[in-house]
Amino acid sequence: MDRAAFLTTALTLAGGQLMAGLMVPGQVVSMADAVVIPPYLRKGDRIGITSPAGFIREEEILPAVERLLDWGFEVRVGDSIGRRDGTFGGTDEERAADLQAMLDDRDIKAVLCARGGYGVGRVLDRLDYRNMKAYPKWVIGFSDITALHLDLLAKCRVASLHSKMCNSFPDDWSSADPVVRSTILSIRDALTGTRMTYEAPPHPMNRGGKASGLLIGGNLSVIQHCMGTPSEPDTNGRILFLEDVGEYRYNLDRMLTNLQRAGKFRHLSGLIIGGFARLKQETPGDEFGREVVDMILEKTAGTNYPICLDFPVGHQRNNFAIKCGVRHTLTVESQQVRLQEIK
Amino acid sequence: MESSRITKPQPADGIIIPPPLRKGDSIGVVCPAGHMPKSRMRTCFKVLREEWGFRVIEGKTLGAGDGYFSGTDEERAADLQRMLDDDQVDAILCARGGYGVGRIIEQLDFSNFRKRPKWLIGFSDITVLHAHILSRCGVATIHGPMAGAFAAGGWRKPSVQSLLRAMRGLKSDYTCDPHPLNRPGTASGVLFGGNLSLLAHLVGTPSEVDLRGKILFIEDVGELLYNIDRMLYQLHRSGRLAGLEGMIVGGFTECRDTERPFGKDVLTIISDIITAYPFPVCFGFPVSHGPENLALKSGVHHQLTIDVKGVRLKEC
Repeated sequence: MDRAAFLTTALTLAGGQLMAGLMVPGQVVSMADAVVIPPYLRKGDRIGITSPAGFIREEEILPAVERLLDWGFEVRVGDSIGRRDGTFGGTDEERAADLQAMLDDRDIKAVLCARGGYGVGRVLDRLDYRNMKAYPKWVIGFSDITALHLDLLAKCRVASLHSKMCNSFPDDWSSADPVVRSTILSIRDALTGTRMTYEAPPHPMNRGGKASGLLIGGNLSVIQHCMGTPSEPDTNGRILFLEDVGEYRYNLDRMLTNLQRAGKFRHLSGLIIGGFARLKQETPGDEFGREVVDMILEKTAGTNYPICLDFPVGHQRNNFAIKCGVRHTLTVESQQVRLQEIK
Repeated sequence: MESSRITKPQPADGIIIPPPLRKGDSIGVVCPAGHMPKSRMRTCFKVLREEWGFRVIEGKTLGAGDGYFSGTDEERAADLQRMLDDDQVDAILCARGGYGVGRIIEQLDFSNFRKRPKWLIGFSDITVLHAHILSRCGVATIHGPMAGAFAAGGWRKPSVQSLLRAMRGLKSDYTCDPHPLNRPGTASGVLFGGNLSLLAHLVGTPSEVDLRGKILFIEDVGELLYNIDRMLYQLHRSGRLAGLEGMIVGGFTECRDTERPFGKDVLTIISDIITAYPFPVCFGFPVSHGPENLALKSGVHHQLTIDVKGVRLKEC
């Protein structure tokens, strides 16, 4: 443990936050990096649904509600569902209040974000995490919700779940694509304490090796725009995963270059590249000329941690639930790529 | 818009102001980012030589490259490095922006430039150079029009003419019309700014400028409304706006919206963010990717006055 990490742990202990956390039954504390893992869910536990970013209509969350009920959970639908203020699911005050109520309500054991879009960054600094620190619970989502994952880790040192949201649950479960079903089921598995294991296809440009560390990451644009803020991630010793959607290649390169210049790729334990979906069309004759894989290899030149490409996470069908802030082992071999949660 | 020349460093800020250009001085022209065909630089070169009386030293990156960039990273870095180092070059004009300065900035060596500062000119992606040179070298630069702005008679217009005056060391004194969203007041401080996307993407890097005590100007082009909001929130949440003396909002041209409308226009987005701060703010200042893009001296002390009659930005 380096000095800064030691001090952080020592201060956390002195502040009693970790001790308070330890008293919650059923939770596991990873002492190496002192991240609190919220208690896993059991049948009958209540899951709250809120939309801290973009607006969503009530009927759009019904497939998710139905599935959660089918799994034996109770559901509480937040006030932000069905609200709309421009692109947002209500005003900043309304979205923050809804999320805050879910974080504070001890009868709610997990908070599922209904969808991404944009808007989490506008409410983060309004949130009061005192109850979340004392009684941690799983917060679930991805894309814009990345900012919430980073914020929870930075301010509360609480693990959270990066996964599909309400808007990705299939309307008809029985006829749904098997991949879609297995990604949705991975949410239940992760929430109920299954030790998660993921396989990724071999990729000729992967860099072999074995890494272990806290898994962090999410949407590249959101991570980039958390730089300098209280939610900025510490990437040292971490396994970082990245995904994005609908971006220009030059902008991806610019964001990756700036993360590199800020030292965010220097002391990683491992790097996982998920999907970079629906990249923007380029003007003929003015193509950027580099693909994401080229950019990644360029920005990580001079490092030697394992790198895997095409990992099943991102704005795509095979977007499996993964636990942020939880220790994992990443094994990248020529024929096999495996990410495994460490219990 | 006239008066004395500045050649001395300003002790108050410790920022070095490069010497003014005189007739016969040489301007090195480079493309450190995107590709630009040489044909589009013709008017610029003609004006620099024949109208303004400068020599033009053409960098190897002009017209170079066959795609996005004007040459490889190594070629673009070497070309700019040569202009920074060459004592025969009295100023460096970037022919265009695009994207690419961030990819070469770490490779550049500014030790000769620090010893013999010279004006560096450009905007958009060149914001990275303005930021880096101010934060790492403490040298002033000119945020202003590039080669393309000279074409089609553009060189006779106020923006390009203001560049000539800035290069010649004349102090600027700009005015612009009042705007309903303006927040009146006066501010005094070192002027800095540029393209909002680049300013956001520089946070946390070694090129980032400490914005405390600064008058910040921002502009952008072709951005999505939600992304402008996100970038401003990044600057807000990271405390970067907290120590500003004043803010100048330039053009946000060709902004785009998403399929689900953002619900606010760009000026309202900016106006909403700054309600958290006490400093004076003006909107519609002629700094932009459009035809109105006055030369602004980054790193130089300015006074900003905003009242009901209008806006005045005066170099001190």
